Amino acid sequence: MIQTVHLTKQYGKLEALHDLNLHIEKGKVFGFIGPNGAGKSTTMLILATLLAPTDGKAYVAGYDVVKEPKQVRQALGYMPDFFGVYDNLKTAEYLDFYAAAYNIPPAKRKSIIVDLLELVNLSDKADAYVDSLSRGMKQRLGLARCLVHSPDVLILDEPASGLDPRARIEMREILKQLRGMGKTILISSHILPELAELCDEIGVIEKGRLIACGAVEEVSAGTRGISVMQVKVLQSHDAARTVLQASPYVRRLDDKGSHFRFQFTGTEVDKAVLLQQLIGAGIPVVHFGESKENLEDVFLAITEGVGS
Amino acid sequence: MKAFLANPLIVKEMRERFRKKITYWILGLYLFVMGAILLGFMYVNQLNSIMIPGENRELFILIAVIQYAMICFIAPALSAGTISGERERQTLHVLLTTQLSPGRIIWSKLLTSLAYIFLMVISSLPLYSFVFLYGGISPQQLFTLVLFFAVNIVFFGALGLFCSTWIKRTGVSTITAYGLAFFFVVGTGLVCLFTADLLQELYPQQYPPGDVYQEPALQMLAALNPVNVMFQLLGEELVPAGESFLPPWLIFTLCYLGFTGILVGWSTYLLHPVRRLPWHWTK
Ligand SMILES: Nc1ncnc2c1ncn2[C@@H]1O[C@H](COP(=O)(O)OP(=O)(O)O)[C@@H](O)[C@H]1O
Ligand SMILES: [Mg+2]
Repeated sequence: MIQTVHLTKQYGKLEALHDLNLHIEKGKVFGFIGPNGAGKSTTMLILATLLAPTDGKAYVAGYDVVKEPKQVRQALGYMPDFFGVYDNLKTAEYLDFYAAAYNIPPAKRKSIIVDLLELVNLSDKADAYVDSLSRGMKQRLGLARCLVHSPDVLILDEPASGLDPRARIEMREILKQLRGMGKTILISSHILPELAELCDEIGVIEKGRLIACGAVEEVSAGTRGISVMQVKVLQSHDAARTVLQASPYVRRLDDKGSHFRFQFTGTEVDKAVLLQQLIGAGIPVVHFGESKENLEDVFLAITEGVGS
Repeated sequence: MKAFLANPLIVKEMRERFRKKITYWILGLYLFVMGAILLGFMYVNQLNSIMIPGENRELFILIAVIQYAMICFIAPALSAGTISGERERQTLHVLLTTQLSPGRIIWSKLLTSLAYIFLMVISSLPLYSFVFLYGGISPQQLFTLVLFFAVNIVFFGALGLFCSTWIKRTGVSTITAYGLAFFFVVGTGLVCLFTADLLQELYPQQYPPGDVYQEPALQMLAALNPVNVMFQLLGEELVPAGESFLPPWLIFTLCYLGFTGILVGWSTYLLHPVRRLPWHWTK
């Protein structure tokens, strides 16, 4: 549904995107992860027909974004990272305006708007002025806005940035519902845990280059043979730290107080040796294993050394 | 009318504009100022002279000049914030991803910003009935004058719209629009006078005094200056009118409608996101 081929974008001398190749299949949720300035928004702007690529091709729903923007726009719902709303409109009027902008006949708009407001939990705000809504509500309204023409593809640029935890969870629940409807979603974030449970696949981008791409576990296994380990001990916390620090395979040791997290670059055999060392030192280990949930570690592991 | 109301941008803009209280205040203030000036002058005039109905054109000229000044002042400002305003509110990107084409956006924006100022001019027409009391003008003159105002409104609106599309910030765009408007209103006149003087200085034997304005190029220049054209419509002469193939106001109308077309087309081109993004020019 979304494809980019050797996509490159230069702003003057700055290369914001370099030879990006993405392929996202129908119905998949793709998480786009990278630090600020990595080129996520740039990619999304190109896909949303708002920016001309310097080189390469991009397709949405089979249409070329440069040559067939009209069809792309019809198939696509795009939510920018920052967007404004028209203050002097009521919520329902706001959606009505965009529905009309997609040439939806007036007779159909009413029911679409009711359904959308229901989806984003704003039914009781239909007659409220947009500027009376909270940040989280505006963000949800923006999401409803990009659904008015029921597009197959959604491109959401950091939809949860700047939201408090509750609003974030609400947003995630709505996104899960959208995934259930079979929409293809490209969603970006610089905050990683946000995406972990939502995405089928993730792509890690850094300095305009895609440095890892695939299912969440695949990416974490990585080609570099790095795994993220978690170790929990009952006592002898300091002794455990000394042992871990002494191991040549342990990197980025993170002492969380109750347990340790670190990147492990050795083989399975090396892992066993490390465990034996801990036990040999008389440390009561209660947990020793790989940690999968935390994308942040994966991300740090993968982006290690890129661009330097 | 139905097609007009089916245009979502027009409906939206009208809702936004006419929900703001300031809209009514400005309209009210405008009519108040126009009426106060007019009645004030009528009062002062009848104090020290006897009004002779049918021979008092000054009032008519006065009210036309004031109205023209208002148009120059308001029309560019009203449209100079349309596109840049959307950009500043960060709603432009989203607007461009809908099925509204840049051309349609530009036209709708022009129409809605002009609708308001047309409302102002039309609502001030009853003031002219006072002027009719004293006579001195024909209905035909008034009609051409309204047409002349309409052309000016459309042109200044397109000028503001163009600046708004071209320039990122509303503030800078408004100032630029005023600057360009000043050039068209005053600058063209100065260029015309300067050229005439220059020609007379350089070739005194070829152009006896006053005759220089018979030169077709100078006639064109004079016809491009709105102030000159307006005074001709009002029956006064700022520069001597030569015999041209078309009346000056018609030349003016055709040229300025042509400029308007160019500005609207150019704005549409600039608004296309992929051919050229609005921020490119700032670098
Ligand atoms: N309009 C622009 N002009 C010049 N440079 C830009 C522009 N937009 C983005 N950039 C640069 O391109 C890079 C990628 O930006 P962006 O795609 O916004 O990153 P992200 O969304 O991943 O944070 C950054 O280095 C940014 O400074
Ligand atoms: Mg971004």
